[in-house]
Amino acid sequence: MQTLANLVKGHEFPATEFELTSGWVGGYMAAVEDRALAASRPDAVPPMAIAALSIRALLERAGLPPGAIHVGQELAFRRAVSVGQRLSVAARVASRGERAGWVLMGVDLSVAVGKDEVMSARAVVTFPAAEGAA
Amino acid sequence: MTQQTRLAMYKAGDDLPPLAKTITQEKIGRYADASGDHNPLHTDPEFAASTQFGGTVAHGMLVLAYLSEMLTSAFGERWVDGGRMKARFRAPARPGDTVTATGRVTRVDDGTVRCAAECRNQAGEVLISADVEVPA
Repeated sequence: MQTLANLVKGHEFPATEFELTSGWVGGYMAAVEDRALAASRPDAVPPMAIAALSIRALLERAGLPPGAIHVGQELAFRRAVSVGQRLSVAARVASRGERAGWVLMGVDLSVAVGKDEVMSARAVVTFPAAEGAA
Repeated sequence: MTQQTRLAMYKAGDDLPPLAKTITQEKIGRYADASGDHNPLHTDPEFAASTQFGGTVAHGMLVLAYLSEMLTSAFGERWVDGGRMKARFRAPARPGDTVTATGRVTRVDDGTVRCAAECRNQAGEVLISADVEVPA
Protein backbone atom coordinates (compact mmCIF):
# COMPACT_ATOMS: atom_id res chain seq x y z
CA MET A 1 0.00 0.00 0.00
CA GLN A 2 1.23 3.48 -0.79
CA THR A 3 1.90 5.98 1.99
CA LEU A 4 1.22 9.68 2.24
CA ALA A 5 4.90 10.20 1.48
CA ASN A 6 4.33 9.20 -2.14
CA LEU A 7 1.52 11.63 -2.78
CA VAL A 8 1.73 15.04 -4.40
CA LYS A 9 -0.37 18.14 -3.85
CA GLY A 10 -3.71 17.75 -5.57
CA HIS A 11 -3.83 13.98 -5.25
CA GLU A 12 -7.42 12.84 -4.83
CA PHE A 13 -8.17 9.68 -2.92
CA PRO A 14 -10.83 7.34 -4.32
CA ALA A 15 -14.14 7.95 -2.58
CA THR A 16 -14.87 5.55 0.25
CA GLU A 17 -18.18 4.59 1.80
CA PHE A 18 -18.84 3.34 5.30
CA GLU A 19 -21.91 2.25 7.18
CA LEU A 20 -21.97 3.59 10.70
CA THR A 21 -22.65 0.18 12.24
CA SER A 22 -23.60 -0.29 15.86
CA GLY A 23 -20.53 -2.51 16.23
CA TRP A 24 -18.13 0.18 15.03
CA VAL A 25 -19.84 2.88 17.09
CA GLY A 26 -19.70 0.61 20.14
CA GLY A 27 -15.97 0.16 19.66
CA TYR A 28 -15.46 3.89 19.27
CA MET A 29 -17.55 4.65 22.35
CA ALA A 30 -15.57 2.10 24.37
CA ALA A 31 -12.41 4.01 23.47
CA VAL A 32 -13.54 7.58 24.12
CA GLU A 33 -16.42 7.09 26.60
CA ASP A 34 -18.19 10.20 25.28
CA ARG A 35 -21.75 10.24 26.63
CA ALA A 36 -22.29 14.01 26.38
CA LEU A 37 -24.93 13.69 23.66
CA ALA A 38 -26.72 10.72 25.20
CA ALA A 39 -29.32 12.75 27.11
CA SER A 40 -30.41 15.12 24.36
CA ARG A 41 -29.74 13.06 21.23
CA PRO A 42 -29.58 9.37 22.16
CA ASP A 43 -29.62 8.38 18.48
CA ALA A 44 -26.65 10.56 17.52
CA VAL A 45 -23.01 9.55 17.65
CA PRO A 46 -20.34 11.96 18.94
CA PRO A 47 -19.08 14.24 16.17
CA MET A 48 -15.50 13.11 16.68
CA ALA A 49 -16.62 9.62 15.66
CA ILE A 50 -17.12 10.99 12.16
CA ALA A 51 -13.62 12.41 12.29
CA ALA A 52 -12.20 9.06 13.39
CA LEU A 53 -14.03 7.33 10.58
CA SER A 54 -12.68 9.79 8.01
CA ILE A 55 -9.15 9.16 9.24
CA ARG A 56 -9.80 5.45 8.93
CA ALA A 57 -10.91 5.95 5.34
CA LEU A 58 -7.73 7.86 4.63
CA LEU A 59 -5.47 5.26 6.21
CA GLU A 60 -7.11 2.50 4.21
CA ARG A 61 -5.96 4.29 1.06
CA ALA A 62 -2.52 5.49 2.15
CA GLY A 63 -0.59 4.54 5.25
CA LEU A 64 1.37 6.91 7.43
CA PRO A 65 5.09 7.06 6.61
CA PRO A 66 7.49 5.98 9.36
CA GLY A 67 8.07 8.80 11.78
CA ALA A 68 4.87 10.62 10.82
CA ILE A 69 3.41 12.97 13.42
CA HIS A 70 -0.12 14.39 13.41
CA VAL A 71 0.52 18.05 14.20
CA GLY A 72 -2.80 19.76 13.56
CA GLN A 73 -6.46 19.21 12.89
CA GLU A 74 -9.22 21.48 11.64
CA LEU A 75 -12.83 20.34 11.93
CA ALA A 76 -16.19 21.78 10.94
CA PHE A 77 -19.30 19.89 11.97
CA ARG A 78 -22.51 20.51 10.01
CA ARG A 79 -24.91 18.11 11.68
CA ALA A 80 -25.01 14.97 13.78
CA VAL A 81 -25.24 11.49 12.29
CA SER A 82 -26.85 8.35 13.65
CA VAL A 83 -26.08 4.67 13.85
CA GLY A 84 -27.00 2.91 10.63
CA GLN A 85 -26.36 5.85 8.32
CA ARG A 86 -24.07 5.42 5.35
CA LEU A 87 -21.25 7.92 5.04
CA SER A 88 -19.08 8.75 2.06
CA VAL A 89 -15.60 10.14 2.54
CA ALA A 90 -13.70 12.21 -0.02
CA ALA A 91 -10.11 13.32 0.53
CA ARG A 92 -7.38 15.15 -1.33
CA VAL A 93 -3.86 16.36 -0.61
CA ALA A 94 -4.42 20.09 -0.20
CA SER A 95 -0.86 21.15 0.52
CA ARG A 96 2.64 19.74 0.62
CA GLY A 97 5.77 21.61 1.58
CA GLU A 98 9.24 20.74 2.75
CA ARG A 99 11.46 22.44 5.26
CA ALA A 100 14.53 21.39 7.20
CA GLY A 101 14.22 17.80 6.09
CA TRP A 102 10.56 17.41 7.00
CA VAL A 103 7.49 17.32 4.80
CA LEU A 104 4.40 19.17 6.03
CA MET A 105 1.24 17.89 4.38
CA GLY A 106 -2.39 18.98 4.67
CA VAL A 107 -5.13 16.59 3.68
CA ASP A 108 -8.68 17.85 3.22
CA LEU A 109 -11.51 15.50 4.09
CA SER A 110 -15.23 15.76 3.46
CA VAL A 111 -17.79 13.38 4.92
CA ALA A 112 -21.34 13.30 3.55
CA VAL A 113 -24.61 11.48 4.01
CA GLY A 114 -25.96 11.30 0.50
CA LYS A 115 -25.24 14.73 -0.95
CA ASP A 116 -25.30 16.51 2.41
CA GLU A 117 -21.90 17.22 3.90
CA VAL A 118 -21.90 16.46 7.62
CA MET A 119 -18.26 17.25 8.38
CA SER A 120 -15.25 18.80 6.71
CA ALA A 121 -11.73 18.63 8.04
CA ARG A 122 -8.08 19.22 7.35
CA ALA A 123 -5.49 16.93 8.90
CA VAL A 124 -1.91 18.23 9.01
CA VAL A 125 0.88 15.70 9.30
CA THR A 126 4.63 15.92 9.13
CA PHE A 127 7.17 13.22 8.33
CA PRO A 128 10.84 12.94 7.40
CA ALA A 129 11.46 14.10 3.84
CA ALA A 130 13.72 11.16 3.19
CA GLU A 131 10.65 8.95 3.25
CA GLY A 132 9.04 10.89 0.44
CA ALA A 133 9.27 9.85 -3.19
CA ALA A 134 7.14 12.66 -4.58
CA MET B 1 -31.23 24.64 31.41
CA THR B 2 -31.81 24.81 27.65
CA GLN B 3 -28.98 25.13 25.17
CA GLN B 4 -30.25 28.56 24.11
CA THR B 5 -30.16 29.67 27.73
CA ARG B 6 -26.65 28.33 28.19
CA LEU B 7 -25.43 30.10 25.06
CA ALA B 8 -27.09 33.34 26.07
CA MET B 9 -25.30 33.14 29.40
CA TYR B 10 -21.82 32.95 27.94
CA LYS B 11 -19.80 36.12 27.72
CA ALA B 12 -16.14 36.90 27.11
CA GLY B 13 -13.99 35.69 29.98
CA ASP B 14 -16.32 32.88 31.05
CA ASP B 15 -14.77 29.49 31.69
CA LEU B 16 -16.45 26.40 30.25
CA PRO B 17 -17.06 23.45 32.58
CA PRO B 18 -13.85 21.34 32.49
CA LEU B 19 -13.70 17.63 31.75
CA ALA B 20 -11.03 15.22 33.08
CA LYS B 21 -10.29 11.73 31.81
CA THR B 22 -7.53 9.21 32.32
CA ILE B 23 -5.69 7.70 29.36
CA THR B 24 -5.05 3.96 29.48
CA GLN B 25 -3.28 1.62 27.10
CA GLU B 26 -6.56 -0.25 26.76
CA LYS B 27 -8.35 2.88 25.55
CA ILE B 28 -5.51 3.57 23.12
CA GLY B 29 -5.85 0.05 21.77
CA ARG B 30 -9.59 0.46 21.35
CA TYR B 31 -9.08 3.75 19.53
CA ALA B 32 -6.53 2.10 17.25
CA ASP B 33 -9.13 -0.52 16.35
CA ALA B 34 -11.81 2.10 15.68
CA SER B 35 -9.64 4.47 13.68
CA GLY B 36 -7.56 1.86 11.91
CA ASP B 37 -4.40 3.63 13.08
CA HIS B 38 -2.28 0.81 14.44
CA ASN B 39 0.97 2.74 14.38
CA PRO B 40 3.19 0.80 16.83
CA LEU B 41 4.03 4.10 18.50
CA HIS B 42 0.52 3.84 19.94
CA THR B 43 0.11 0.12 20.39
CA ASP B 44 3.51 -1.57 20.85
CA PRO B 45 5.20 -0.66 24.16
CA GLU B 46 8.47 -2.36 23.19
CA PHE B 47 8.72 -0.52 19.88
CA ALA B 48 7.57 2.77 21.37
CA ALA B 49 10.23 2.52 24.10
CA SER B 50 12.88 2.65 21.38
CA THR B 51 11.58 5.91 19.93
CA GLN B 52 12.10 9.52 20.93
CA PHE B 53 8.88 9.27 22.96
CA GLY B 54 10.24 6.53 25.23
CA GLY B 55 6.90 4.72 25.37
CA THR B 56 3.48 4.54 23.81
CA VAL B 57 1.49 7.70 23.31
CA ALA B 58 -2.22 8.24 22.68
CA HIS B 59 -3.57 9.16 19.28
CA GLY B 60 -3.96 12.91 19.09
CA MET B 61 -7.52 12.41 17.88
CA LEU B 62 -8.37 10.41 21.02
CA VAL B 63 -7.30 13.32 23.20
CA LEU B 64 -9.09 15.73 20.86
CA ALA B 65 -12.26 13.71 21.42
CA TYR B 66 -12.11 14.74 25.10
CA LEU B 67 -12.01 18.38 24.03
CA SER B 68 -15.02 17.80 21.80
CA GLU B 69 -16.89 16.09 24.64
CA MET B 70 -16.21 19.10 26.87
CA LEU B 71 -17.60 21.35 24.11
CA THR B 72 -20.67 19.15 23.68
CA SER B 73 -21.32 19.42 27.41
CA ALA B 74 -20.91 23.19 27.26
CA PHE B 75 -22.82 23.96 24.06
CA GLY B 76 -24.98 20.92 23.39
CA GLU B 77 -26.26 20.45 19.87
CA ARG B 78 -24.88 23.83 18.77
CA TRP B 79 -21.43 22.29 18.85
CA VAL B 80 -22.51 19.16 17.05
CA ASP B 81 -24.56 20.96 14.40
CA GLY B 82 -22.25 23.80 13.49
CA GLY B 83 -19.10 23.90 15.62
CA ARG B 84 -15.67 24.57 14.16
CA MET B 85 -12.27 23.92 15.66
CA LYS B 86 -8.66 24.49 14.67
CA ALA B 87 -6.41 22.41 16.91
CA ARG B 88 -2.67 22.03 17.30
CA PHE B 89 -1.16 18.92 18.86
CA ARG B 90 1.64 20.21 21.07
CA ALA B 91 2.70 17.26 23.21
CA PRO B 92 1.74 13.59 23.51
CA ALA B 93 -0.54 12.07 26.13
CA ARG B 94 0.67 8.83 27.66
CA PRO B 95 -1.01 5.90 29.41
CA GLY B 96 -1.68 6.91 33.00
CA ASP B 97 -2.02 10.59 32.18
CA THR B 98 -5.06 12.46 33.43
CA VAL B 99 -6.12 14.81 30.66
CA THR B 100 -8.18 17.87 31.54
CA ALA B 101 -10.04 19.70 28.77
CA THR B 102 -10.84 23.34 29.47
CA GLY B 103 -12.09 26.34 27.54
CA ARG B 104 -12.63 30.06 27.94
CA VAL B 105 -14.92 32.32 25.94
CA THR B 106 -12.82 34.94 24.21
CA ARG B 107 -15.52 36.78 22.25
CA VAL B 108 -19.21 36.70 21.48
CA ASP B 109 -20.17 38.48 18.27
CA ASP B 110 -21.87 38.06 14.90
CA GLY B 111 -23.89 35.17 16.22
CA THR B 112 -20.79 33.23 17.16
CA VAL B 113 -19.24 32.24 20.48
CA ARG B 114 -15.45 32.09 20.13
CA CYS B 115 -13.36 30.16 22.65
CA ALA B 116 -9.78 29.23 23.38
CA ALA B 117 -9.65 25.62 24.47
CA GLU B 118 -6.91 23.24 25.50
CA CYS B 119 -6.05 19.89 26.99
CA ARG B 120 -3.38 19.61 29.68
CA ASN B 121 -1.92 16.64 31.51
CA GLN B 122 -1.64 16.32 35.27
CA ALA B 123 1.69 18.19 35.17
CA GLY B 124 0.05 21.17 33.50
CA GLU B 125 1.73 20.55 30.17
CA VAL B 126 -0.36 21.70 27.20
CA LEU B 127 -1.13 18.73 24.97
CA ILE B 128 -3.57 20.41 22.60
CA SER B 129 -4.54 24.02 22.05
CA ALA B 130 -7.50 24.98 19.91
CA ASP B 131 -9.51 27.89 18.59
CA VAL B 132 -13.21 27.10 18.67
CA GLU B 133 -16.29 28.70 17.13
CA VAL B 134 -19.85 27.76 18.03
CA PRO B 135 -22.97 29.32 16.47
CA ALA B 136 -25.03 31.20 19.04
